[in-house]
Amino acid sequence: MNAPSRYTCEDTFHRLDDYLDRALSEDELRLVRAHLDLCETCAREYRFEASLIDQIRAKLRRIAMPEDLRSRIHDALARAEQDGRAK
Amino acid sequence: MTRPRPDQTPKATEFESLLLPVLDRAYGLALGLTRERTAAEDLVQEASLLAFRSFHTFQRGTNFRAWFFKILTNAFYSAHRRAKREVPTVELDEASEPYLYGRTAEAGLHTVSEDPAAALIGKMDAEQIVRALAALPEEFRVASTLYFLEDYSYEQIAETLGVPIGTVRSRLHRGRKMLQRQLWQIAMDEGIVKGLTARGGAGT
Repeated sequence: MNAPSRYTCEDTFHRLDDYLDRALSEDELRLVRAHLDLCETCAREYRFEASLIDQIRAKLRRIAMPEDLRSRIHDALARAEQDGRAK
Repeated sequence: MTRPRPDQTPKATEFESLLLPVLDRAYGLALGLTRERTAAEDLVQEASLLAFRSFHTFQRGTNFRAWFFKILTNAFYSAHRRAKREVPTVELDEASEPYLYGRTAEAGLHTVSEDPAAALIGKMDAEQIVRALAALPEEFRVASTLYFLEDYSYEQIAETLGVPIGTVRSRLHRGRKMLQRQLWQIAMDEGIVKGLTARGGAGT
């Protein structure tokens, strides 16, 4: 069977997650991109999903550890080092 | 602020110089895995000690962060198997519709904002996002946390968790949909959606 020369909305929809995750083959990537260039409905949905992922990432990546954890780890490592030397 | 001790060995100094820059992100990962602050702190500390003890296996010049996060994830699984406790999570939902896109459109967010996803998540804090992630069943939560925090590819997540790539792909896709349901629930319950639509309406 020949590969399709263009994707429908449904073809694109089924590949949207993989497209977002950059996990498609070169051919599939090109076909999804071509569909998104032509179909504003699918493009809007894609922009929404992509923005959602970016926003969640940005929020989660701003989480900082509690102030005292760094020094607690430093102290625990010092103890582990001393124990290692004592053996 | 920590500083090297006078008697610190070169090994310990090198280890800490690699560890300290990744600790904030490690804590975020631990929070996503354990769902609880104290448990997350304990996990980061335990993983730090485990990594220090096996530092001789770390190959210089390779990615310390990926190496450490794998140790942290394995430590989580070991501890979790020991504890055998699991808080209730959401039911697995097989629906394939773009859930949050549909709900935000119905609520009118698409007419009050050019970027409705940014408008919604912008009004939520990290604690609410973590709470939404926390409701996912463990296998979906772990893969999703690695995905969102580290931008890992399917291959990297598969390597970290020791599962096939196809499993990771399926967990991420389904986890994403479950997460959208949880985010929407929290946004509705806590008045975020109402605030956004009321404000948008007042401005027109």
